[in-house]
Order: sequence, then structure tokens, then C-alpha cells
Amino acid sequence: MSSARMLGLGSVLRQAALKPRGWIYAANALRMVVPKRGIKTQSLPPSSMTEILNTQRLKRPSSPHFTIYQPQLTWLGSIANRMTGSALSVLLYGYALAYLVAPGTFDSAHVIEFVAGLPDAVKYTGKAILAAPFAFHSWNGLRHLSWDAGKFLSLKGAYQSGYAVLGATAVTTVALVLM
Amino acid sequence: MQSLVARSSVVRPSVLRSSARTFATSSARAQAVPTEKPVLNKEFKIYRWNPDEPAAKPKLQTYTVDLNQCGPMILDALIKIKNETDPTLTFRRSCREGICGSCAMNINGQNTLACLCRIDRNESKDTKIYPLPHMYIVKDLVPDLTLFYKQYKSIEPYLKNDNPPADREFLQSQEDRRKLDGMYECILCACCSTSCPSYWWNQDEYLGPATLMAAYRWMADSRDTYSAQRKEKLQNEMSLYRCHTIFNCARTCPKGLNPAAAIAKIKLELAAD
Amino acid sequence: MSSALVARSAINARLASTFARRSLRPLAVHARSVSDAAYVPGGPIYKGTVNDPTDFPPPSKTHGSYHWAFERLLSAGLVPMTVAAFATSSSSYPLLDGILGVSLVMHSHIGFDSIVVDYLHPRKFPILGRVFTWTLRATTVGVLVGVYQFNTNDIGLTELIAKVWHA
Repeated sequence: MSSARMLGLGSVLRQAALKPRGWIYAANALRMVVPKRGIKTQSLPPSSMTEILNTQRLKRPSSPHFTIYQPQLTWLGSIANRMTGSALSVLLYGYALAYLVAPGTFDSAHVIEFVAGLPDAVKYTGKAILAAPFAFHSWNGLRHLSWDAGKFLSLKGAYQSGYAVLGATAVTTVALVLM
Repeated sequence: MQSLVARSSVVRPSVLRSSARTFATSSARAQAVPTEKPVLNKEFKIYRWNPDEPAAKPKLQTYTVDLNQCGPMILDALIKIKNETDPTLTFRRSCREGICGSCAMNINGQNTLACLCRIDRNESKDTKIYPLPHMYIVKDLVPDLTLFYKQYKSIEPYLKNDNPPADREFLQSQEDRRKLDGMYECILCACCSTSCPSYWWNQDEYLGPATLMAAYRWMADSRDTYSAQRKEKLQNEMSLYRCHTIFNCARTCPKGLNPAAAIAKIKLELAAD
Repeated sequence: MSSALVARSAINARLASTFARRSLRPLAVHARSVSDAAYVPGGPIYKGTVNDPTDFPPPSKTHGSYHWAFERLLSAGLVPMTVAAFATSSSSYPLLDGILGVSLVMHSHIGFDSIVVDYLHPRKFPILGRVFTWTLRATTVGVLVGVYQFNTNDIGLTELIAKVWHA
């Protein structure tokens, strides 16, 4: 059928089919249009199905994901939790390793002296940059712990606690910076 | 006014109906002037990829649809485009009423069922339609869900009980039955699993929200006696514990179910074991 | 991310060429074995036929619920620990600094580890994944030593943070 459609035979065949003894007309019509050449078929065992499917599968693209997904509090909050936690942990790891390698340069006296020498603007900016991730990760950590304990598990609960975490983060950050 | 006359004839008492309606509608039809609705063109940008040209990169194709000549739902627009503009546009659909789960796709950045998603009638904004995220694409909006179904099969989604009651059906108290509410309604449309970032990165090993909620549906069933074995299967790093309680699943579920809560309950029960 | 994509597409390209060559051979191979041989974790080819369920990794509570419960208890414990460490004068309770130091490093390690498992699992990235896993383990040991030395030879973590904050 599909080959007939490709050859533009659809209407001819349909007309032929409507007439009595249509198959003769159809055969005639086919003989007129199709050049004399056998249609080649290839016999394949059923097991080759998987192989044919797999060659198709390998060409399939993967659909786009986070680039097209709507920004939502749910997953943005989750990735923010991971990023803030990582940032703070990298700081801890970095300082601990630095102290391990060069205890003379990175001892507390030198660090405190260095920070004391910074201008106020840098100090406050630095405090905000440290306080905000700490506050967010702490509050969001509590939100995660309450989920794990079975609390706020509704969608509404997730959103309300999410906004509460954002609010608490803002307040805590300001408080810590001014401390 | 004409249409009012015509409509009033329909609600007449049945005794008068045949003669009255014939008269009223025929006269109304003769006089009726079709109300010309203004054209409300809206652009739909739809993800296209054709397996017959596998080397060509997937692209967004823009279609313009007159919303006043189209049904209210995204699926109506897709069917209209396929019928009238481009018959090569490929998508799955069946029931058009949100119970078969075939037309799951990503519409304006959210996974949902095209048949349950209203078209935003603001014509200045286009609507972007992608297939379900991070899936291998068979064609256009049709993702390969083979793995999703294989995973669903792996949790043995059927009642397992070695000692069924001999002479009668399984009985269940109303409280026990209520535990299944909010889980048995899942239609396996895969909206939740494909909205889950953990499923994006690790879908070959992590079961994903839909399958995990189905797993909990059988763990929570009082008639099933294989709860321990079902839990045992999830005791590994990947199958269950790639869930980080992101809540995208509950946010996106077109049936309003909450897989995140079901997964949290599995974790609690596994920890209590 | 992009490196992952490059790696994935390279694997796919290799698989495609393997298939091109294989398809010239007589197709007497059993369907299932063909599929399994071509399986790449996360790739478009799946183990078994469409009717076979996926399999589960061997059960292990250490990687499952124990790990999860330990992580939660540790995180929950960090809250009172942090409060206590800053509420008391930490130099008079050096033990508290020590416990907090170890707990923070373990909490960080579990966090980094879950990042590696999520994005760079060795089953998908056999070389890069293992490099990251073992680098992380070695680093964590180094960090534990560094934190211990700082807590014993210097003023301790809490005191440092407090002093830097008010410097």
C-alpha cells in the first residue's frame, strides 16, 4: 500500500476497487505504471528484530531537560542546597588542607591578622557571602530533616516551608552580618 | 438573537418537540448569520526530530493556530495542527480526558498531559512544547518509555500473597483501604519521573517517582504479604536513595498525586526495619 | 556536563560502528545476547527484551537504610553541636571542637560523595568516576588530619570562626 501511495497510485487503485472485478483493473493499472522489476524482499530471522531496533535506538537524541524545565522553587531550592553545602565544605576542606600543608602560613594568628587588615566593605561583603549559604543550608537542612521525619510532605507543605526557609535565610544572614 | 430562538426550541416540552423543533430550527437556520469570531493567532513552538533524517538536529518548529477555531486544550491544538497544517507532526494521544496518560509532554516547561492543559489565550506569548525531558526520542513528541515500563515491571506491581483465603475474597478494613488512596490513581504517564533531576542523571539505576510510588502502593497494601521482600530489593545505593526529596514529582503530577510523600514513607519504613 | 555529553556521544559513535560491522555478519546471534552486549549504562539500548523487568543491585543495608539513617542522625546532631560550640567558650571545651570538626568533615564527605554518585557514577564514567571517588576519600582523610592538628595545635575551629568574624 505504501509503495502505491509513493507512486501516486492511490486514486487509481481506489477507483479500480470501486468497480466490479476491480482487481483486474488494479493489476492493469499497476502494470502500466510500475516498471518491470521485481520487488526485492529480504528474509530475516525474528532474532534480528532487536538488532534493527538497537540500530534505530542508537540514533535517537535525548530530549532537553534542565535548560527547558520551568524554574520552580522545588528543584532550584534543592540545587541551591547542594551548591551552598558544597561551597561551605570546599572552604572547610581547603582551609584544613592548607593548614596541613603549611601550618606556619595558615595558622589562626595570620588568618585573623589578614582579615583584620581588610577594608570594612570587603569584610561585610565577605561576611554576607559566607553567612547566606550557611543560613540557607542550615534552614533547608532542617526542612529536609522534617520531611524525612514525615512532616510537611504535602505539596503545600513543601512550598510553605520553602518560602519560610527563604525568609529565615534573609533574616539570619542580616543578623549574622551585623553580629 | 437568532441562536437564542433556535436554542429555546430545543428545551420545549417533549409533546411539542417534533413539530416545534422542525419548524423553529429550519427557520432559524435559514436566517442564521454565522457569528464571525475574530482571528486569535497564537504561535506554538514544537520540538521536531525525524528518525528518517537522524543526522538532522532536533529543532523547534513554529505553527500558528487560530485559537477561535480550536478547542481549549493543548491537545486540541496539536490535533488541529496535525489535521490541517502538518500531518507529519507525531505525538501520542488516546483518551483526551486525562485517564490514559498517553499525551504526557513538557508544555511551557512543565510536564503535564496535553489533554488536561489549557491553552494560554494570551496571543503575544508563544507556547513551547517539548517531549518529556531527558528521554530518548522516537520521533517528535514521542519518547521511548521502554525503560520506564521495564522498571515498573521490576517492582512486581501485583498482589503477592502465599496464603490467600480459601473460601472467599480478600477482606480489607476501611482504614487499610484508605492507605492506598492517592497512590492507586496513578496512570503511569511518566510526567513525574521525567521531571525528576535524579531520574535525569541516573534513570538506568534509579527507579524514579512513579515506579517507587507504585512499589509503596503494594508495600502499604494490607493484603500483600511480600512487603519485606519488596523493601529488601530497594536496600541499595541507587534504586531508592537517589531521591533527594526535590518535590518536582508532586509539583508536576497531572493527577495531583504525591510520589515524594510515598518515597519519604518508604525511606522511613526502611530505616525502621 | 559537556564532558559527559562528549563521552556519551563518543560511546554511541563507537557502538554505532560496532553495529555497522556486526550487521554484515550472519544474524544468527540470539536476540537477548545482542542487546546485553551493546548495553551501556544510561544509553538508549536496554538489557534484555522489552518484556524483561530491570534488575536490582545486590541488597545491602550499609549502602541503603543504614547509610541514610546515619546521614540524617549526623545532620540532626550538627544542629545542637554547632549551637553548643558557639554558646560555650570553645577553648575550655576542646572536645566539642574535636567532635564538631569530625562531624562536619563526615557530613561534607557524604555530601560530596552523593554528588559523585549522582553526576559521575563509575558505572557511567569508569575512569573519571573512580578518580573522583578515590580523590575524595584521600582528601577527606587529609582534611581529617588537618582539622585534628588545627584543633590540637591551634585555637580550634569555633574560636577561629568567632575571631575572624569579629576581626
